[in-house]
Amino acid sequence: MELFFNPFDNLVCILLGISLTVWFTLLLVFIIVPAIFGVSFGIRRLYMKTLLKLFEWATLRIERGAKENNHHLHKPYSNAIIAKEPTSFEEEIKEIRRSGSNKDLDSASEFEMSDIFYFTRRGVASIMDDEVTKRFSAEELESWNLLTRSNNNFHYISLRLTVLWGLGLVIRYSFLLPLRVTLAFTGVGLLVFLTCVIGLLPNGRLKNFLSEKVHLMCYRICVRALTAIITYHDSENKPKKGGICVANHTSPIDVIILASDGCYAMVGQIHGGLMGVIQRSMVKACPHIWFERSEVKDRHLVAKRLSDHLEVKTKLPILIFPEGTCINNTSVMMFKKGSFEIGGTVYPVAIKYDPRFGDAFWNSSKFGMVSYLLRMMSSWAIVCSVWYLPPMSREEDEDAVQFANRVKAAIARQGGLVDLLWDGGLKRGKVKETFKEEQQKLYSKMLVGTQEDRSRS
Amino acid sequence: MGAFQSSPGQPEYVDLKEKTGFSISQIRVLHTRFKLLGHNGETLKRDHFNSIPDLACNPIRSQIIEAFFDRRNFRQNGEGPVDEIHFEEFLMVMSHFKAPSPRMIEERESVRREKLRFIFNMHDTDDDGTITLEEYRHVIDELLSLTEDLGKDTAKDIADAAMREVASTSMAHMEPDEFFEGITFEHFLKVLFGGP
Repeated sequence: MELFFNPFDNLVCILLGISLTVWFTLLLVFIIVPAIFGVSFGIRRLYMKTLLKLFEWATLRIERGAKENNHHLHKPYSNAIIAKEPTSFEEEIKEIRRSGSNKDLDSASEFEMSDIFYFTRRGVASIMDDEVTKRFSAEELESWNLLTRSNNNFHYISLRLTVLWGLGLVIRYSFLLPLRVTLAFTGVGLLVFLTCVIGLLPNGRLKNFLSEKVHLMCYRICVRALTAIITYHDSENKPKKGGICVANHTSPIDVIILASDGCYAMVGQIHGGLMGVIQRSMVKACPHIWFERSEVKDRHLVAKRLSDHLEVKTKLPILIFPEGTCINNTSVMMFKKGSFEIGGTVYPVAIKYDPRFGDAFWNSSKFGMVSYLLRMMSSWAIVCSVWYLPPMSREEDEDAVQFANRVKAAIARQGGLVDLLWDGGLKRGKVKETFKEEQQKLYSKMLVGTQEDRSRS
Repeated sequence: MGAFQSSPGQPEYVDLKEKTGFSISQIRVLHTRFKLLGHNGETLKRDHFNSIPDLACNPIRSQIIEAFFDRRNFRQNGEGPVDEIHFEEFLMVMSHFKAPSPRMIEERESVRREKLRFIFNMHDTDDDGTITLEEYRHVIDELLSLTEDLGKDTAKDIADAAMREVASTSMAHMEPDEFFEGITFEHFLKVLFGGP
């Protein structure tokens, strides 16, 4: 028996014990306690500033190195291939015809063989680059942020840079990642446990008060678990009870970011597994709106439940992401009109992530939820800005679609995102035949219109 | 190995640059696009092109997509369609649309001819070197639409008028007893640019 407990082992045990205790105390003091009270030591902001300086240095170093070695730097946004001229449809066709034949043409009246050039050129230009497909993959960065995953053809430049990168790797995976995973488990565990406990209380003011506090606290711990550094702007426009909060959608983390600053009633489908457990316990403490899978298809049922919730003015504002899918945070896509039909005041919120510290976009065809979360937790940080926009309501002569577009334009403008009319569902589906017919109609109108002129004269 | 990926074969890009005339950075951009469209696969298939919304609005979309899979456009003197294309073939087809750089007059002529050959190939779907009247009408039908704006008869009229013009231009150069088989490439050029 004595062989098992020699002094060396004893020493190791003691050291392990001490370091674990220290670890947990630090965790408690610097992270969990501030999360409970909603204060911050400012450690994360300091961290962010240091990282920025580091990235600037790294980028300069790479550019210098590239010049010395005559390598071509990969600039992601060089559109030198397509020469775009924003002329109208008719003008372009006339231009093509004029440059081709020797005939004297004034109007784009008859069909000419050269008309096909215009459509071919448009077609190939859209194969080369179009506004929509590039929104469904991660944004490309101009500079490098010391993460291999955003490393597009950055060659070996110098020893110092490699050492720095190696150091970064070590820090991120052996220090930050375990820390964050621990926090995440703590946060989620506390959420489930405490909401169940609160669920036992009778409905009333005490229950609502406590549930608010518990939700905020657990979301703040989760925010620290991701090292998310969030700047909230215009907090006076924060969504109030009885309203609907709409925001652009980039990843599931959006929920955590918004919910750590205010309490919302969430809307969504009930999942199985861990997600389901969390959802079911959350609904015990305060009324969220969860749907069974079968109910999701029934739009009237969904609309009814949402409007019932809004009727009760003391209930928390509903949080909805009208795009319906995750977009890569460079643009805002079509808002589904369902959430804008139920009435109530709409509080738009714009969320913009800073891609230099870690790309938050969830490409669900490339990564599953777990590997996505692991990627998030092993990036440097998640830095984002949240703008609360002034509330909007539907006006008398507006229909739901126009209202949705108005809100979308406001969010895009505030967040500095491109406002697109296309549907986010194009990520998975195809364009409808009706769009092709639009172009044909335009062209045939042009031909027929002038035919009529000639037959009259 | 290390953690730094080297750029995918600088020598390969140089080779492609010689063949197509694109610059290295343009080739890089196109390669990224190729990978995005093909979901990081080695080849592109027709289905991948169907996922571009702007292209779906284009009336002659199927002709344009076919052009990418047509061996005649790969500059290797081949013929017939293929089912999938690699990056080199994608670049070859794209290079037909490259803006001409300021060069000598003779080169500019041949570049122009090549571009027109591309359009000719788009019309000539059965690869026989001539555009028959059916093939031509097919293209016109795609461009026009069958809605109330344009009755079926009007569409037919427009198509017939265009046919007649083409036929008269080329017939002027044939013997009376020759059968009009179709427009060859030379006729095509004449129709477009008038001339003697």
